[in-house]
Amino acid sequence: MPRKKPLVYPVVFMILLTALFTFLLAFINASTIDEIERQEELSIQRSILYIFDIPYKELDDRDITKRYTQNISSSIEKNRKIYRYTLNDTVKGYAFEFSGSGLWGTISGHIAFTPSFDQILGVNFIRHSETPGLGGRIDEVTYKDQFRNISVMTANPLIYRPATNGNIDSISGATLTSKAVKDIINDFIPKIKSYAKEVGLYE
Amino acid sequence: MNEIKKLFSQGIWKDNPVFRQILGICSSLAVTNLLINSFVMGIGLCFVTGFSSFTVSVFRHHTPKHIRMMVQTLIISAYVIILDIFLKAYYPSMSKALGPYVGLIITNCIIMGRCEAFAQHNKPIISFFDGISMGLGYTVVLLFIAFFRELLGFGSLFGIQVLGENWVNWTLMIMPPGAFFMLAIVIWIAKNIFPTPEDTNEGGAKA
Repeated sequence: MPRKKPLVYPVVFMILLTALFTFLLAFINASTIDEIERQEELSIQRSILYIFDIPYKELDDRDITKRYTQNISSSIEKNRKIYRYTLNDTVKGYAFEFSGSGLWGTISGHIAFTPSFDQILGVNFIRHSETPGLGGRIDEVTYKDQFRNISVMTANPLIYRPATNGNIDSISGATLTSKAVKDIINDFIPKIKSYAKEVGLYE
Repeated sequence: MNEIKKLFSQGIWKDNPVFRQILGICSSLAVTNLLINSFVMGIGLCFVTGFSSFTVSVFRHHTPKHIRMMVQTLIISAYVIILDIFLKAYYPSMSKALGPYVGLIITNCIIMGRCEAFAQHNKPIISFFDGISMGLGYTVVLLFIAFFRELLGFGSLFGIQVLGENWVNWTLMIMPPGAFFMLAIVIWIAKNIFPTPEDTNEGGAKA
């Protein structure tokens, strides 16, 4: 007959070990949570500055926050956050957060429009789970910069080249991610335009 | 000291986890399209393998044998979470670039392979170095593959453009098939360098 395995000791051992590691992780989590939050806030500020094409690359963290607060104000209307870029008391543009399904998970980011909502000022992605090096290349400036100054007066304004009237290039090797991004933004634009009219951002 | 030297020569060359033990294949296929991703992934793996092996070895006399895998998984996952938190707090751009792969370090067979094969029977310090050397062996192979994939696929190294304007990117290299070709070439070369068949079976599932 096989020897009976002990029961109490393994259970107690496992409980103690789990408690030890849980304590360790909780401690590390608690001591870095402020830093992580600060980094996340900074990444949002960088994103908003980027889509409005306000230079920030040469600045350190504190100056980024300073430049952000000087230029950008935000408010929440009808459950949606609106970022306003104001320069010399004139509004230069509005920005919003968008999200939608990518290839592997949700892609979310920011998009900015001119005050009359006829052009995109810029697009940036803040969170996604696309394949690093392939779909993950939506983070590259060469891809994101293509969205600047694209007219949004037609339905489905984003069209990939080489289709007729194409205005942006997709990422080679990441067809599905590129398509997902195009669909997310094309779907988002009519929604945000009607929202903007509703809250009185433009006529 | 000599023992540590021997460990490193084994981890990086003779007993290399990737081309000799055929462990950690999934991630070496996945992250090798950019050198920087491979580099950070490699460093992350060194950290996790080293400390996991160390911890497993510290507890080796107290761990009941039949629940040792559960214990190892717990230890490994704790270190992976620590690494994830660390990257988020102090290296957010890399945390973003590697995305889901950081969490997936836990599925890397090298870590558990080393815990089972080495750390279970050896002292903590030496196990730690064994983990680090295996991690380095993995990093070296990753960097080797990534060097060719990034160079041919993007014309760049560590994100810096090195091949001129006339270079036409060989897109296949940065796509998943490119990884299979490169890895196969690496294993083929290694197989020719080490012609005598050896039993390199280290136990643990291959992935």
